Amino acid sequence: MNSKKLWKFFFICPVIIYVSLLIALPLIYILLISFFQSDYYGGMISTFTIQNYIDVFDQVYISVFLKSIFIAGITTFICILISYPFVLAISHKKPRTQKILMTLVMVPFLTNSLIRMYGWLVLLRKSGVINQVLMGLGVIQEPLSLMYNMIGIIIGMVYTLLPFMILPLYSSVSTVDPYLLEASSDLGASKMKTFFKIIVPQTLPGLFNGSLMVFTPALGYFFIVDILGGGKMMILGNLIKNQFLTARNWPFGAAISIVLVLITSLVIIAYRKLGGKMEDLGGA
Amino acid sequence: MRNIMKISVVYCLFMAFLLSGCSKQDTKVVNVLNWSSYIPDSVIRSFEKETGIQVNYSTYSSNEECLAKVSSAKKGTYDLIFPSDYMIEIMIKREMLELLDQTQLQNVGNLDTFYLNQSFDPGNRYSLPFVMASTVIAVNRDYISDEIISYQDLLNEKYYNNITLIDDQRIIIGMALLANGYDMNTTDEEALEVAKDWLLQLKPNIKAFDSDSPKNFLVTEEADIAVLWNAEAALAYQENNNIEFIYPKEGSALSMDNFAIPKGAKHQSEAYQFIDYILRADVMKKIIESYPYKNVNQATQTLLGTDYLYNIASNIPASIIESGFYVENIGESVKLYDKLWAEIK
Repeated sequence: MNSKKLWKFFFICPVIIYVSLLIALPLIYILLISFFQSDYYGGMISTFTIQNYIDVFDQVYISVFLKSIFIAGITTFICILISYPFVLAISHKKPRTQKILMTLVMVPFLTNSLIRMYGWLVLLRKSGVINQVLMGLGVIQEPLSLMYNMIGIIIGMVYTLLPFMILPLYSSVSTVDPYLLEASSDLGASKMKTFFKIIVPQTLPGLFNGSLMVFTPALGYFFIVDILGGGKMMILGNLIKNQFLTARNWPFGAAISIVLVLITSLVIIAYRKLGGKMEDLGGA
Repeated sequence: MRNIMKISVVYCLFMAFLLSGCSKQDTKVVNVLNWSSYIPDSVIRSFEKETGIQVNYSTYSSNEECLAKVSSAKKGTYDLIFPSDYMIEIMIKREMLELLDQTQLQNVGNLDTFYLNQSFDPGNRYSLPFVMASTVIAVNRDYISDEIISYQDLLNEKYYNNITLIDDQRIIIGMALLANGYDMNTTDEEALEVAKDWLLQLKPNIKAFDSDSPKNFLVTEEADIAVLWNAEAALAYQENNNIEFIYPKEGSALSMDNFAIPKGAKHQSEAYQFIDYILRADVMKKIIESYPYKNVNQATQTLLGTDYLYNIASNIPASIIESGFYVENIGESVKLYDKLWAEIK
């Protein structure tokens, strides 16, 4: 019995090392330096200060927070709009087809996301494929501005993060009892009504999990804003990156990161207060 | 049983991953940390072939990234770096650089003395110039026919969504300061406020901020005007001969990149060999032909073709260098610039 336990520990060990070394330690380090003072040459002076946190609440940086939340919110909303019909359509297919289709959702992960962004560049630009085709067909006369603006940012965000919405939603939807749907339609409920009264409530954990997985990274994916947004907008990701790489103000960058972690934690706490279970967030 | 096998394999792979990188090698190496796209791969390969020294090459895309990499890495990680002017000054102040022993460099005489003895390192005790760059306005004359002589001309409403700028806060805020008659390195809050308003006025005309490849905007005709580094402009010209270069009357931002050896470097003699190799006239020629920055090597200058010499984007005229401005270290005030940058974006 005891040796079995030892074996178990032996196999869990890498995970413990991994989590503490690569996740916990850096986070503690970030928390620590967020109370330090910057020497503005990339170094830090280890005197305790909360000035960094006071600076975060400057009107300029608050507006960066709001802009980021706005973009992340729209991205999450569009991802939900696309994912529900997609997931519902898939769940009616044969198990084998379902597996194949879900694998296809994962395929883009095999390529680096930065490279995929450059792929979008070729598609979306003024002389890009989409504009060429539309102009060739006579649908438009002037090329559309599909990037270096908000549209480009949203396209990039939704494209990159969509799988994170589809996967949890899919595992939620596949647990919905088909008999319930049948009963609902037997009792005369319209398809819309069945969706809102039966499917949505039962898939809420998946929906929330997906939203969290889309919303949080959307606050920080600075490379999408830089490439498809033409670097004209600053979201939290850019702001944090700038503190570390151009302003040489690591403590301030750390403080912004900690505030970001707090915001994310607040969302999870709100979810629990509303009756959600943490287990559901772990996926199926 | 099969499961245990599977798990064991994964476990071994994981541990192998954790422990990888713990090996040691005896061959001669030099660890170079340089700007991305600055030295063509072929030059590095031929150096390796000639000397038998293996080059471990890594890159950065801003001076601050270089500073962060060198100061956070273990001492002796890098043997040779290429910081710009103001970063040399910072690194000297922080005692991060080794004194250069010029007697180890046979080809040091190839350098044009015009570029030596700069204010950031008087007497070149810690650094030697590698190449120079300056900002320039490039205009696609296929579409834009107006006369442009000043940064102020960029405010023209006709250029709506048609201008690309380098994504660099010091350079672009500096440009706004120059446009309004201020010093490019001022820390005066009133002047910065004026610069902010000027940039906000310019913003509708800005298509994108891009430092990675601003020339692509010109080449693909995504934007018809760009403020970019001279070599990028020269490369764009190779694709489209109707691109004109304008050095605005307020002056351009200058940058000089330098060889420097970080303190505690473990392979200094190899680093000197690498510097000496690059200072060779024919080697520098290859570099300049791939990345047409301003050459500072006198011996190379005579080897370069008219394509390079007569192109004011690559071979920056001396008068422009004399009337240009370097980015200076402004210490804590970098905070003001950073905040202003967040306000503009």
